[in-house]
Amino acid sequence: MCFFYSSTIELFKEVVTTTKEELYKELSDAIVSCKKDQVLAAVEKARGELEAPDIIENGLAAGMNEVGTLFERGKLFLPHVMMAAEAMQAGVDELKDDMPESSNKAASVIVNGTVEGDVHDIGKAIVSTMLQTSGFEVYDIGRDAPVADFIAKIKETNANMVGISALMTTTLPGQKEVIEALEEEGLRDKVKVMVGGAPATNAWANKIGADCYAENATEAVNKAKELLL
Amino acid sequence: MANEYFVRMGDGERISMTKEQIIADLQEGSADAADLGDIPELSGDELDKLADIIMDSNRIVSVEPGMEIPVTHDIGSIRIDGDQGNSGVGIPASRLVGCMMHERGFGADTMELGHIDYSFKPVKPVIAQECQTMESCQQNMTVPLLYGAMPNLGLYYTPDGPFENPGDLMKAFKINEARESIEHAGDHATRDITWIMQHLQKVGCDGVNFDTIGAAGDGDVYASLYAMKALREEFPNIYIEAGMAGECTLGMHGELEFEGNVLAGLWPHEQVPLAEEAGANMFGPVCNTNTSKSSAWNLARSVTFTKAAVEASNIPCHVDMGMGVGGIPMFETPPIDAVTRASKAMVEIAGVDGI
Ligand code: B12
Repeated sequence: MCFFYSSTIELFKEVVTTTKEELYKELSDAIVSCKKDQVLAAVEKARGELEAPDIIENGLAAGMNEVGTLFERGKLFLPHVMMAAEAMQAGVDELKDDMPESSNKAASVIVNGTVEGDVHDIGKAIVSTMLQTSGFEVYDIGRDAPVADFIAKIKETNANMVGISALMTTTLPGQKEVIEALEEEGLRDKVKVMVGGAPATNAWANKIGADCYAENATEAVNKAKELLL
Repeated sequence: MANEYFVRMGDGERISMTKEQIIADLQEGSADAADLGDIPELSGDELDKLADIIMDSNRIVSVEPGMEIPVTHDIGSIRIDGDQGNSGVGIPASRLVGCMMHERGFGADTMELGHIDYSFKPVKPVIAQECQTMESCQQNMTVPLLYGAMPNLGLYYTPDGPFENPGDLMKAFKINEARESIEHAGDHATRDITWIMQHLQKVGCDGVNFDTIGAAGDGDVYASLYAMKALREEFPNIYIEAGMAGECTLGMHGELEFEGNVLAGLWPHEQVPLAEEAGANMFGPVCNTNTSKSSAWNLARSVTFTKAAVEASNIPCHVDMGMGVGGIPMFETPPIDAVTRASKAMVEIAGVDGI
């Protein structure tokens, strides 16, 4: 009787852990643990139960969002973000063959840089990293980047979006110059513009005709997804 | 609009808000700090007092008599001769003249000599000039005169220095290499800062101001704390100021420690005990301004963080007040209404020892 009782509980647990929500959580927790093995194991387990895009979107990517939030709150650090991203990449690779044809479309391309005259690049580099870890193809042209460099890289990579960083009130107008150059080159309709950096605001982004402003790296990822995917 | 008050946005824009809106923003700002730092929110009385300060009908406000505090100064005399978007006013004046203006004209209680690049690393090749200028300033001045610069670990990475940029390494998933690069840079910076101060001490310098500690993340904090420790051991009477760069120590490395304490992810009240342990005499907590929020939100948040740091500290806390920090808008010439309100709040509510 006793034996029967405990094995019923085991059975019950098994049923519970394989519900959709539990699988999502396991996948997401595995990403937050930043451990590749754990992610691969969770992917392996979820594979029989969920479709590959579902595993990626609601499990792995949700975990990556959580990592972003923990990073902004000072609870996880840059190396952890990278390890989580690497683990996520391994998980996605594992699922490649299960993906429907239509979802193998090319990744959106983003060119990121800090405007000319401004050497601040720590925040922008974090934004680049987070965008990259979320599946975008990112070209970071560094700091103190002349307008011409932004345009050249956008043309070279056929970018869909440009991220423009400025950390000083005095260099903020540089963001407007990049937008004006895009217009002059006839590229503005093809390329979304995202601006950021401590002195930038939503109001500023509207004023200069950018497509969006993001306050931090996690928000940058969300806004890029909204605009590009 | 009789019941609306002029306030600022974090980017300096003038807006008007009702008392209810101001109080709601104060509560929200304080709650945000409390949530992030795991520290107490401001009490109802403190929030009321903050609201009164913000809604004061005068353009400039000040502290109550008896609450006056000392003001220390950073960024050397670049405030006078600097002209690079750093709120310097571009007046060509020698550094001696700049320092004396601060002492005799502006009432600075301590002053510092600084180099135009204002980072430690580029001081090495011009150490003789720094020593000579320090000596002539000391001979002409009475207030404590420190040497100030930024640890600025960024200068040790390519293209400015010998070690590969950890940001680039990290992006290529070379996490261990990135961490090694940060460790090397940190050790070099500690060695350089110590060397520079050994020279300046010989010409009668009163001490050192580590300005914007942590600008390049936890490696920067690591370098600074170990330099403080080495200086304190070698010069028991040296005066050491530790001023931070931001509210939370960015974890670029994530595992660096000072005396067994992990440095990444520390908030002001967790930073100050380490500065104290390293041998600092004074700590400068920082809280960043969010340009998309009102000054009520920003100030309540800054005061909440700063108050917790003051309470955790056994050494004087001189809060960092300037463009984009301490509840002050991010603007080259921060509006005086916002600056004086934020300063009064820091003294009367956060209980800072100086600014
Ligand atoms: C680190 C730092 C430096 C370092 C930069 C090192 C580097 N490699 O980046 C060094 C020491 C070199 C430096 C130099 C200077 N600095 Co400085 N610096 C800072 C400091 C302390 C921190 C900036 C930082 O990295 N923050 C951490 C990162 C993670 O945050 P973040 O940059 O805001 O990025 C986040 C968001 O803004 C957003 N984001 C950023 N970029 C982008 C881009 C996109 C597309 C999106 C969507 C989002 C986004 O996401 C990021 C992640 O959450 C700030 C003050 C402060 N506390 O903010 C001053 C500050 C920015 N500097 C300032 C100044 C004045 C200077 C100097 C002129 C000083 C001088 N006299 O030499 C020089 C600049 C020279 C030049 N021509 O550029 C001022 C600017 C004032 C103003 N006018 O606006 C500040 C505000 C300090 C101050 N209050 O005086 N600085």
